Amino acid sequence: MAQQTHSPTVNPPVRNAVVLVSLCLVASTQAEDFFSDKIEPLLKQRCYECHSHQGGKMKGGLTLDSKSGWEKGGETGPAVVAGKPDASLLMTMVRWRDDDHQMPPKQQLPAEEIALLEQWIKLGAPDPRTTPVPSPADWWSLRPLLQPAIPPGAAHPIDAFIQERLQTKQLAPAPPADPRSLIRRLYFDLHGLPPSPAEVAAFAQAATPAPAYNDLVDQLLASPRYGERWARHWLDTIHFADTHGFEHDDLRPNAWRYRDYVIASLNRDTTWPRFIREQLAADVFFPTEPALSAALGYLGAGTYDSSAAATAPTSFEYLDRDDLVTQTMASFVSTTANCARCHAHKFDPITQEDYFALQAVFAGIGKGDISYHEDPAVAQQLQTLNALLQAAESKDAAVIQAPASAALITAWEQAHASPVAWKLLLPETFLTAEGTLLERLADGSLLASGPTPDKDTYTVTTTTNLSELTAVRLDFLPDDSLPAHGPGRASNGNLHLSEIELQVFRPSSTKPEKVSLQRALSDFDQVNYDVTKAIDGDFKSSWAIHPAIGQPHHGVFALREKLPLEAGARLVITLRQLQGGSHLLGRFKLSATQAPANSLRALPTALEEILRTPQPDRSPAQQLALASMVARLAATEALAKLPPPVTVWAAGRAAKNERGVVSIPQPRSIRLLQRGDLAKPQAEIGPGALSAITALPARFSLDKPQDEASRRAALADWLTHADNPLTWRSIVNRVWHYHFGKGLCDTPSDFGHMGGVPSHPELLDWLAVWFRDEAHGSLKALHRLILTSATYRQSSNANATALAVDPDNRLLWRMSRSRLDADTVRDTMLAVSGNLDLTMGGPSVAHFTSKPGPQTTPVLNYADFDWNTPGANRRSVYRLVWRAIADPFMDTLDFPDLGQLAPVRGFSASALQSLAMFNNEFILHASERFAAKLEQEFPQPEGRIRAAFQRILQRDPTASESSDCTTLAAQHGMAAVCRVLFNANEFLFLD
Amino acid sequence: MFSTTSLTRRNFLWHTGGGITGVALAQLLSREARGDTATPRPELNGGLHHPAKAKRIIQLFMNGGVSQMDTFDYKPALERLHGQMIGPKEKPEGQTGPAGAVMKSPFEFKQHGQSGRWVSSVFPHQAKWVDEMAFLMAMTTKTSVHGPGSYMMNTGFLLPGFPCMGAWISYGLGSLSDNLPTFVVLPDARGLPYNQKGNFSAAFLPSRHQGTIINAGSASPVPDLFANSKHKFASQEADAASLALLQKMNRAHAASHPEDSRLEARIAGYELAAKMQLSAPEAFDLSRETASMRTAYGMDDPVTEDFGRRCLLARRLLERGTRVVQVWSGPQGAINNWDNHGNIQTELPPIAASVDLPIAGLLGDLKSRGLLEDTLVIFTTEFGRTPFAQGSLGRDHNGNSFVTWLAGAGVKAGASYGQSDELGFKAESGITYCYDLHATIFHLLGINHEKLSYRTSGVDRRLTDVHGHVISEVLA
Repeated sequence: MAQQTHSPTVNPPVRNAVVLVSLCLVASTQAEDFFSDKIEPLLKQRCYECHSHQGGKMKGGLTLDSKSGWEKGGETGPAVVAGKPDASLLMTMVRWRDDDHQMPPKQQLPAEEIALLEQWIKLGAPDPRTTPVPSPADWWSLRPLLQPAIPPGAAHPIDAFIQERLQTKQLAPAPPADPRSLIRRLYFDLHGLPPSPAEVAAFAQAATPAPAYNDLVDQLLASPRYGERWARHWLDTIHFADTHGFEHDDLRPNAWRYRDYVIASLNRDTTWPRFIREQLAADVFFPTEPALSAALGYLGAGTYDSSAAATAPTSFEYLDRDDLVTQTMASFVSTTANCARCHAHKFDPITQEDYFALQAVFAGIGKGDISYHEDPAVAQQLQTLNALLQAAESKDAAVIQAPASAALITAWEQAHASPVAWKLLLPETFLTAEGTLLERLADGSLLASGPTPDKDTYTVTTTTNLSELTAVRLDFLPDDSLPAHGPGRASNGNLHLSEIELQVFRPSSTKPEKVSLQRALSDFDQVNYDVTKAIDGDFKSSWAIHPAIGQPHHGVFALREKLPLEAGARLVITLRQLQGGSHLLGRFKLSATQAPANSLRALPTALEEILRTPQPDRSPAQQLALASMVARLAATEALAKLPPPVTVWAAGRAAKNERGVVSIPQPRSIRLLQRGDLAKPQAEIGPGALSAITALPARFSLDKPQDEASRRAALADWLTHADNPLTWRSIVNRVWHYHFGKGLCDTPSDFGHMGGVPSHPELLDWLAVWFRDEAHGSLKALHRLILTSATYRQSSNANATALAVDPDNRLLWRMSRSRLDADTVRDTMLAVSGNLDLTMGGPSVAHFTSKPGPQTTPVLNYADFDWNTPGANRRSVYRLVWRAIADPFMDTLDFPDLGQLAPVRGFSASALQSLAMFNNEFILHASERFAAKLEQEFPQPEGRIRAAFQRILQRDPTASESSDCTTLAAQHGMAAVCRVLFNANEFLFLD
Repeated sequence: MFSTTSLTRRNFLWHTGGGITGVALAQLLSREARGDTATPRPELNGGLHHPAKAKRIIQLFMNGGVSQMDTFDYKPALERLHGQMIGPKEKPEGQTGPAGAVMKSPFEFKQHGQSGRWVSSVFPHQAKWVDEMAFLMAMTTKTSVHGPGSYMMNTGFLLPGFPCMGAWISYGLGSLSDNLPTFVVLPDARGLPYNQKGNFSAAFLPSRHQGTIINAGSASPVPDLFANSKHKFASQEADAASLALLQKMNRAHAASHPEDSRLEARIAGYELAAKMQLSAPEAFDLSRETASMRTAYGMDDPVTEDFGRRCLLARRLLERGTRVVQVWSGPQGAINNWDNHGNIQTELPPIAASVDLPIAGLLGDLKSRGLLEDTLVIFTTEFGRTPFAQGSLGRDHNGNSFVTWLAGAGVKAGASYGQSDELGFKAESGITYCYDLHATIFHLLGINHEKLSYRTSGVDRRLTDVHGHVISEVLA
């Protein structure tokens, strides 16, 4: 039995020898014939579907269509070890060794085919296939940028390239568009709004068309409407929205600051490389321009899963970084780097190492609200004051005694020259809630003894002959009767004051009045337990003094407003000590003052003594100690007076979100993950980018790799480098895409093997170099170049010959017709009906009513919205985009799902779109308003109808249209006509 | 036109009207963005790549994570190990708290039907139908967080921005009728599920494939079906005149640009809209159902009324040509759904009761009408729950194991596939992911899940990503 079992796999030595001998004797051609006749067909039939370039799949990273494919093997190593079938993974798999090793997966190969494979490997796996698989790096988008010569012919470079290609196909460009089509095209393209009838008429009548057109281009580019229109394109591209998406689709009430930044950047024509730098690392490149912090909203544009962040932090951070890598590489260099997360990119030369190097770029960011001051002067002050605070902590004489600081300190000392007079508050009644015994000592202080409850609250009632009160003071005093001499009752002498509260009982009143405490100062705070915790209204936080025990301490609590006191008024002071662990006050004293609030201070006893020493008598050590303390107080006061910072949802070194302040001290260690699986970490990878751009180093060499911002800055440097061909090709193609409806490469965020191939590669490269070197990254210059070409200005009319040759108009023998996008449709209806509100900037405007939902996400109702609400008629770019509760009306017109990047807008037509366009309240409201305006402006139906046509379609009605519309208006009102025109294809499509 | 007595399952499909037939309209609309994928073929019973067993789908989605060991996955070992601290020491990713002691099910399990399937006392009505169902007993997913979990079960991806199954089916197979939306979503009256409308998105597919959210109780269930009656210029009469003029203008415009099919597509859109206006009100009018039918769906009882109404509406829509209906149980949030963290004994029975009778009513109704022959019914959720207590009485999220059942067209009645471990904590054998479930559903619809794709951002995207095997064990 045993022999039988073994016989199929153990070959007698003699037969082995025969094989070896025969192998030596077989001419290589014969071996190759064996491969070609038997093995190659087998591989083709059984394996290529999942493991070849022609099958388009490289499952497990393995290809079997070349010798190098199986030599290199997949993720689990070489597939074939020549001469050793049993050591070859291929044999393990085809023999279906166990559940994890079964190939092909659905059905095992017939025994004879397995035997053939075994024989082939034994023969040394001859494989003559030499067809070189083209190097993936030799790909149009990765090649270095060289500017081709402009072909002879047309004067305009764009036309020269376009017409040269048309000529090779015996095609000619279309004639110029008529003035009405052209001005309509230009307005919608640059502004997303229609021209007025007067502008159309003036343009049509211009004596010299060319200057009129060029002037119009300049005029439109100079208008702020341009930035509003083109910002939306970029916001789509990077999946920007006002909410998180996911389980808790929470509002980001400050995300709009980034939207406003994009609009302003486009309007001021920020150069493209600078735009990239600002968005990735404004904090590094432009520290003196704090308002640019809004640019970092780029890093926060995408989705955010707060639920996963809380309960599944490791996978959350991994996927969150993935989203950032995807966004950055798609939007700036049109590369789908994210496809290399689980395995080397199947189609593009992007390795898993590259992908994880990009993850490492973002391995230290915190996502959330970033605070900043828009005014650089304030930001500068903030920086100076923080430096002074730091110097005060470290008693850094150089900073403290620098002229700027010295002036601040002298001013403070002068303002606080006279010491505050504190008047003892003698306790009259003193109660404890949990049984602590209090005894009044001769100096007016209270000493605790007796039971030591876990927590307690002391209530002290007192009177004073001060006629007004600005602050109370609480002194903790050491006492030998207390553990570790106090001043607290905890075994280590510490205490925790959770809250101090002040009430006043006026003689005329039966009820106490609460007196609000605004500011708290102390001579000493335990780390994380500073004195402000005693007036924050939160009983869970407290002020404590460890480790400075056995010494006196005091706190000063300033009233929000000066409190007038009449005779007989009693003060009630409540001291809540709710930390637990018997962290109770041991001995303490209360006093009060009517000194001005700005003269208050709480200095360590030692410093009080220095202050009492006349200035000339102070020692140098005393001088510095005093200066440090004063510097701290002065800086703290000055900081409190600064205007509050603004925030934007973004990412950076530190950001605040629902989990608190996220600041990762050291960027996470990023490891390559086998198959993208967090459970299979491999080697650590440092920050970097794509190794396929050979002109640039693929891994970043950083002075301070631990500073996460320097990693972002290094990526920005890599992206904006003149020798990065992707960046320049990407942006000129993206701009082309929006002007023509289709990019020269029709996949604007994917220049890889799965994306499109450019229709005019020479033109694309010429434009990229021109944009980089001659336009110096100016988008407005690029627009101007494109818009002044005859190619842009040609008619969209089809001709049968060209249509037959190039039905998709890739060669641009005419202008492509495009449908207005959702935002433009909406803005245009507002504009023509006279409702459009051109207010710029500020918080996003809701187009829905909302009520609280079961959790943090509210319930939105778009159908109930009142279009007369203030702000409702602002441009669509200011609309609040709730990521996962999208506006159904905008949806039907293909406003994208911003869960993912949306580099192109789709087109769809459906019954639901027609219902929305015909019956949605927004359109009906706009129709009504438009009709009312027309009725007011024109006495006769004919005039109204002509004006309606002119404003919506930029032309006069024909006689029959006019008569049809007059009939409809007579029967059902002018609003019915407006509604029809808003639904007309002629309005929705741009010639 | 449709009365419950005269209605058979064949006379409600493929109505034609106007000048263009339904087929022609649908084709016109589908021209917009389809690449080289196949079109449904009559000789394949409407399938794309092979003969279809199912023509339409109703998916019952239990939002929050159904506790498998308290419903369909009977685990006697929990009785024996009750109270023992043998769960993971560290809190697993996605759980909201540390694992407590093993907790036995507080509900009684009994075997039911010829198949002897164990069902707990929370599902007495579904228990009568186990012989019609096929169970996937070892489903598993890649997360234990609601957001990504719901995305995964609906779209096959953990992240937002991917098309859901209904959108893919709409894209692949198109509509069965001109009169109603192809893919309808009926959310719980108390609110949307986790991820809001993200679960029903068409994402990068043309937007017309996204789920149409129908508010079952509303006067205008289809959004913008009619203009607000306050607008006199948009009365029924005005609509007819306006639409006639619009179509005249649009036809004249299209005639001068015959090469642009998008113009025709929009014209067709208005024709379809008019048809929908005619037929939708009837389809949504549940008062046309008999009293006994409404009772069978639980519409008389406040406990089952909402889910029952939506199941009955789903049946009416499917009958009239809607291709996919998704009925949700439970809104997002801490209560009124299947996310029973606090106390299984008190939180599970009410939500279970709210769906149990309506589901049985739906299955019975579909069967008696013959609709179950070519309608697929799916009961699922985003993940399961832990066999370990959360607090002392609740159960936490558990992406390692949960249960789904299928019934109807092409399903092997009474079958069961896969097994979880002794505790029901982890899927152990016959493990299935959403990919396999989706591949199987596609298979029944005549779609090869590896072939239906859409190119976007450098990838030919599929519902099943690079995964998915048809689960032949549950196919008839």
